[in-house]
Amino acid sequence: MRFLVPAALGLASLAGPLIVLYMLRSKRRPERVPSTMLWQEIGEPVSSAVPWRPLKLTWLLVLQLVVLALFVLSLARPFIAEATVLGPHTVFVIDTSGSMAMAGRFEQAQAAALDLAEDVSEANLASVVEAGPHPSVRIAFSSDPEAVAEAIRSLRPGGGAEDLSTALRLARGLAAPDRETSVVIFSDGGAAPLPEEPVVGATHLVFDDHASNLAISGFDAEPSTEGTIRVFVQVENHGADRRTVEVAIDIDGLPAGSTEITVDGLSAAQRVLPVPATPGSVVTARLVGADDALALDDRADLVVGGGADRGVAVVGAGSPFLTALLQSTPGVSIADADEADLLIVDGGPLPEIDRPTWLIRTETTPEGIDLVGLERNLAVTFARPGDPVLDGVDLSETVVAEAQHTETLTWLPLVSSGETPLVLLGEVNGHRVVYTTFDLTHSNLPVQVAFPILGANLLQWLGGGDAVSVSTEPAGTPIALLTPVGHRARVTLPSGDTQDVAPDAATFFDTDEPGVYRIDYVDAEGDVTSSDVAVRRFVPSESSGPSREIVGAPAPGASADEGFLIREWSPWIVAAALALMALEWWVGHQRPRFRRREVTA
Amino acid sequence: MLLDPRLRAQLERLALGVRGRVTAQWAGRHSSTRLGESLDFADYRPYQPGDDYRRIDHNLRARLGIVMVRQFEAEQELPLDIVVDLSGSMEMHDKATSARTLAAMVAYMGLASGDRVRLWAVPGDGVRTEIQGPAGRHLAAWPLLESWLESRPAGGGASLRPLGRRLAASGGAVVLVSDLLVEEWREVLDGLAPTAGGLVLHVLSRQELYPPLAGDLDLVDSETGTRLAVSMSEEAVRNYQKAVEDFALEASRRSRRAGLDYLLVEAGPDAAERALEGLARREVVR
Repeated sequence: MRFLVPAALGLASLAGPLIVLYMLRSKRRPERVPSTMLWQEIGEPVSSAVPWRPLKLTWLLVLQLVVLALFVLSLARPFIAEATVLGPHTVFVIDTSGSMAMAGRFEQAQAAALDLAEDVSEANLASVVEAGPHPSVRIAFSSDPEAVAEAIRSLRPGGGAEDLSTALRLARGLAAPDRETSVVIFSDGGAAPLPEEPVVGATHLVFDDHASNLAISGFDAEPSTEGTIRVFVQVENHGADRRTVEVAIDIDGLPAGSTEITVDGLSAAQRVLPVPATPGSVVTARLVGADDALALDDRADLVVGGGADRGVAVVGAGSPFLTALLQSTPGVSIADADEADLLIVDGGPLPEIDRPTWLIRTETTPEGIDLVGLERNLAVTFARPGDPVLDGVDLSETVVAEAQHTETLTWLPLVSSGETPLVLLGEVNGHRVVYTTFDLTHSNLPVQVAFPILGANLLQWLGGGDAVSVSTEPAGTPIALLTPVGHRARVTLPSGDTQDVAPDAATFFDTDEPGVYRIDYVDAEGDVTSSDVAVRRFVPSESSGPSREIVGAPAPGASADEGFLIREWSPWIVAAALALMALEWWVGHQRPRFRRREVTA
Repeated sequence: MLLDPRLRAQLERLALGVRGRVTAQWAGRHSSTRLGESLDFADYRPYQPGDDYRRIDHNLRARLGIVMVRQFEAEQELPLDIVVDLSGSMEMHDKATSARTLAAMVAYMGLASGDRVRLWAVPGDGVRTEIQGPAGRHLAAWPLLESWLESRPAGGGASLRPLGRRLAASGGAVVLVSDLLVEEWREVLDGLAPTAGGLVLHVLSRQELYPPLAGDLDLVDSETGTRLAVSMSEEAVRNYQKAVEDFALEASRRSRRAGLDYLLVEAGPDAAERALEGLARREVVR
């Protein structure tokens, strides 16, 4: 045991005066009594010539000495130094990727984080960053160990891949200028590359327990020539031993068949099975009796596509390119303007926007876009990076002969040429709207490979493309919401829980859990007017449980005491002293008086 | 008023029990050591000239041929000497008030029974060691006795020894109301031998029985002013209580040996009622 203020131990010398006080005879208080006759017979030594007497050890003296000792001890502030990774401010980066669900990795990481959270205090602040597919800060600069523990307990491993780079950037962003900030990574390390390594100021606690694992790494459906649906199942064996496993197929939650698959070690096996599914059916593949280390990847879902097409009408000049686009885009059919679900307005006056609409250089611009002039001979210089509408679209060879020069604060420029937006995304009257500032025929875009892809993506974004096919994205991929005006979205998660989404939200992010997400659009009366379905799948790369050790490096200027937690005993000692003082008070004042003897004669 | 009307009404129906014969001057209700004119036969003796002819037992003369006269018991009044201790030690803790009430209780009972009640008080007036108070044998004397008891001040040192010697051979009964906290208390009790017995009402306060004292004290004697240093430990208080108990037991024993009944009375407002209850239980009063 060490002391923060060892000089305070000198106060123990106060025990001397205390003992002397007990040895001194107190000045006797005169007390008049009827007669001293009987008192002379009690045989008690009643007088002395010296002002002190031999020390008589009483409970009161012992208690007072102990209380004094405890107070002196508390003033000396005894402590023990425990090794810890906690610093003045520690950011807990906790991996919630699919691989953390393997062999109790996440439970171990959570337990270790909770153990550290117990030491959070005003001197040791903590923040928690979830390192899932979409890293987020769960709690920041907290001195409350219970709040930090609650944030840690709320985390669950999902089916996505971790984004450690973003998580570490978030952790860096939490660095406070007045506190040394360290980062503790609770992770298996994963396989994702980091922008820099070693990671400065970070400590990696590795949780890489591994065990044999079977995973459904592929699951798809397609119509057969016989008009039925066939599902494709791929099972991957991440263990070294040959395994045989039963794959059960469910349709809309009811058993629809099963098959056995034998998979050699570290390889994959596939099966194609016909199933009596119809468009819109939810088909689920399950590994039965897999008895492996990762349960999340033992199941995969899909929703069978197909069914009725969405009607799209072209208003205005039109062009063969647009007609060809509509004919080649799956799930879309050409319809009359009155019955169409989507509208393409190619030039001419701006119509009233009463449904999702693609506007192509109309005479007047829609609300929120100001027309300031015309620009000629433009080349694409900006395409919004990472936007799903531009997924697979290469516009580097696209040139435009003439385009409207517009300015906007509320529309999102998707493609631009310098200061001139070429394609804008926005919303009018609660409907998604695409505005193209140039006539398609005044550009080479229709003859580019990018055109049908961009067109299909734009129609899909508008809600019209690929009408009933359901995309299966990796867990963690956000779900775009097509909430009609006056409605709000309610999402039923694969676990069965429901979440109400804010009325103005266009995206639902909480998709770490693999499985089927049902999105219901509820009107003001509470009636469900329409529904969508999205599927999120376990990221196959996580099934192997990749792990590695992330190399950390001490932060420049880190103090020498870092790594030790000073645990003081003073509060407990003071509490014990107060308890003893209460006991002393009871002994001195509240103890029952001398027992009476009844005097009778 | 020392006695309330309810208690006085109760006392008028009671009388102090007398163990022996009395020796007094006037006729009364108690058996006398002398022979007299009562209806209770006592003895024969040979006829002597001057004897009342009516006392000659003619049946005996006819059977034995000798002339004998019948003798009868005499009944005389009970001289009742009531001594109330009003010394300095009685002044504390309201013991003197209780002692006055107890003395008044016995005196009233005596007057109601036709006894010759005589009051005494110690200490005296500086010249005498004791003061003789008024006497009476009828309830008519009660106001005088009550007034005297009420007016007697308490305080000062007292010695019971002279009065003890004076009342030692009382022909009646002696009632001593005192805390007996005097050095010569054994001598006084041993010296008393009243022919008709009597009573010791030993008055001690609650503070004397169960001292509520703690710490180191210099006890000051209220009569003598002498000081005694005492550390009020648990053991000291325990020893004191044992001493009080022994004191009461010894006083009781010595009283009975002197032919006196004994009652320990705790001083207080209801001392008379409690004493009367105790005396009735012991059949000292009937």
